[in-house]
Amino acid sequence: MDTLVARYSQPMFEKDYTEDQLDMYQPAPSLSLRFAMPPVAQPSAWLRAATDDHANPNCPIKIAHGTTTLAFRFQGGIIVATDSRATAGNWIASQTVKKVIEINNCLLGTMAGGAADCQYWLAYLGMQCRLHELRHKRRISVAAASKILANLVYSYKGMGLSMGTMCAGVTKEEGPALYYIDSDGTRLAGNLFCVGSGQTFAYGVLDAEYSYDLSEEAALELGRRSILAATHRDAYSGGFINLYHVKEDGWVKHGFNDTNPIFWKTKLESGEFSNVTSELV
Amino acid sequence: MSAMFSQNPLMNGPNYSFNQAPSTAAAGNKEHGFYPYTDNGGSTLAISGSDFTIVAGDTRSTSGYNINTRYSPKVFKIGGTTSSQDDATLVLSVVGFAADGEALKERLDAIVKMYRYQHGKPMSVKACAQRLSTILYGKRFFPYYVTAILGGLDEEGNGAVYSYDPVGSYEREQCRAAGAAASLIMPFLDNQVNYKNQYIPGSGVGHALVEREKIPLGRTEVEDVVKDAFDSAVERHIEVGDGLQMFVITKSGIEEKYLPLKRD
Amino acid sequence: MPGFDFSNHTRNAALHARGVPLPKATSTGTTIVGCIFDGGVVIAADTRATSGPIVADKNCEKLHYIAPQIWCAGAGTAADTEFTTALISSQLELHSLSTGRKPRVVTCMTMLKQHLFRHQGHIGAYLVVAGVDPTGVGLFTVHAHGSTDKLPYVTMGSGSLAAMSVFETQWKATMTEQEAVTLASNAIQAGIFNDLGSGSNVDVAIITKDKTTLKRGYVKPNERSKKQKSYVFKRGTTAVLNEKIITKEEISKYVTVHELEGGETAVGEKMDIDA
Repeated sequence: MDTLVARYSQPMFEKDYTEDQLDMYQPAPSLSLRFAMPPVAQPSAWLRAATDDHANPNCPIKIAHGTTTLAFRFQGGIIVATDSRATAGNWIASQTVKKVIEINNCLLGTMAGGAADCQYWLAYLGMQCRLHELRHKRRISVAAASKILANLVYSYKGMGLSMGTMCAGVTKEEGPALYYIDSDGTRLAGNLFCVGSGQTFAYGVLDAEYSYDLSEEAALELGRRSILAATHRDAYSGGFINLYHVKEDGWVKHGFNDTNPIFWKTKLESGEFSNVTSELV
Repeated sequence: MSAMFSQNPLMNGPNYSFNQAPSTAAAGNKEHGFYPYTDNGGSTLAISGSDFTIVAGDTRSTSGYNINTRYSPKVFKIGGTTSSQDDATLVLSVVGFAADGEALKERLDAIVKMYRYQHGKPMSVKACAQRLSTILYGKRFFPYYVTAILGGLDEEGNGAVYSYDPVGSYEREQCRAAGAAASLIMPFLDNQVNYKNQYIPGSGVGHALVEREKIPLGRTEVEDVVKDAFDSAVERHIEVGDGLQMFVITKSGIEEKYLPLKRD
Repeated sequence: MPGFDFSNHTRNAALHARGVPLPKATSTGTTIVGCIFDGGVVIAADTRATSGPIVADKNCEKLHYIAPQIWCAGAGTAADTEFTTALISSQLELHSLSTGRKPRVVTCMTMLKQHLFRHQGHIGAYLVVAGVDPTGVGLFTVHAHGSTDKLPYVTMGSGSLAAMSVFETQWKATMTEQEAVTLASNAIQAGIFNDLGSGSNVDVAIITKDKTTLKRGYVKPNERSKKQKSYVFKRGTTAVLNEKIITKEEISKYVTVHELEGGETAVGEKMDIDA
């Protein structure tokens, strides 16, 4: 299977020029997709041995992973919320990652799985969306944008991409629309998604309190509270809560706030998290 | 038949409570005859100030318990007009596999030089940072085994530090340590540069306690912090030592400093 | 039942096969050497102990006492060198008492090799045994699997090649005590500076017919430089969730409380700390 994938993936890159030569003549990266490949029969198996820290904790290259992200539709638009922690193995690589990627002023993407995969391909998606606008003189639909991404990752299936992303946006034709896309090629439309290692904890809070008729304020608070629950129980999630609200005329950012004071405020003012105590025995 | 039983030994027979335990080589990893990477050790560090950026790295190159050389720079000026790089405005540090680091540096330098030639102006850090990300991602399926940090001054003249993972995910930060002693230096930086876990004494009771104000450090203070960070890393990490190379990027150019470190 | 407790061996082997990593033993990466001279023998060691790439102890003791005139330099797993030398030291003392004779270096070496061979290399002790006994000067190496060598100059540990290069270029058949000490110290320093597993200071033990001299920190070529900044925190910098004050009466239920005289300060066990 791996060899099959490798064979049919080969034409994806041109071999006429060396990388250096192309760099010299094209200081900006070309739009065609060319990737350097390890000179082995099964590049994907080799890559997994070198980079997959779940299958092989001693792998030489540790790629940033671990996340909680969520997005849900409600009467006032879409709420998008994420944590901000990046982990490589047991090491917290960063506490300040921006996991909501602003594709354009009314489309948002979220980042879970490989940080580089999400950053690169969502930036690529941004380019494709802009090209669509220029070609067709109208904004791309969320359905179309998400499908570009889904088709793209499907063409790399088995090669080792790792991403679980949500596309949230508003267009005149669709209204607020939310899609889930992952590197297996799954693409789902829905009202509510949580993605990442902390997804179960976020679902727990979100499912319990969710209603389509939530007020804007309540919806933002629910998004925040769900991420907080996940950062509390999932060691691979934490840092800051990144909150966005997607409305008819584009998205609005609602802060990038440290979880620690939010946690103590939630505990002391609302009496939640009673499992946590600072009492001394 | 084999489909009836999970290939994962953790799932068969009586299990241990910690059956989530990570599997090591014993758990059936395939042997590969292609090992293109070695770890050359060492550490790098970058801190940005209000009108300067300092990028530093030790100069030891190791393999196993051996020292390859006591002077192999990990920090490079990028995109000057000549090979002497006297008028460069950007600094790249690479740590991990030295050969990949060298290749990456050469590639980025060529690109930034071409940019200057074609546009008649030096490349901004922001543009260079984005370009470096795409270079790294271009080898997503055969990665450069390096952790890169890019330093410079942004359009407003403020210090800028961009840090990368081996396949190009990047972020602008206040400070970053990378390489062998990253886990020793980074917590120190969190505390001394971003004042994490530091509160103003007597500013309140319990949760009303006020966090220490985040004032950017001055240049001499940052130089001191860098020296102390590396001296401490040398004490406790065997792959770090020999020399400390420091680049200070200001609007008047890039200053290079070299300080000796312990050689044991 | 004396000896090792193997009751967890099967379980641990099963766990290891299922991917649970073995606990990491502190290993003394190490350079150790020994060299004879006219009228005695000198052994020397570096003082770095490592756990993977991390320095676990910057000033550990790798020269172990066996008998007043027999000392041992240890490389390999720190605990194994420590306990093996202590065990043999004890047995040798009893042997000496029962025979009424001074212990011999060969006896010590033979006991060590038999002990290590019995455990088939599972005890990771690599030793340089040196001493002076009624038969004369003795210098041996003992490997973890039980093999031994008898040579006029020896090196062991990860820095053994660096150290041996010094011996091979500078060793002479006849040397004074001072020449031998300097040579051994230079050999250790070659290890300290060229082998990442070795570092910090040089410890030396000089054994002659009349006495043994242990020179801890004979050379200290790696003193830490002074910090540029002070990192003293103002009292109250750390957030405190809760406080509880324990009275002297309460604590005295668990430990003995000593009252200090006026102006007197309590001194616990002294410990090396960085400035």
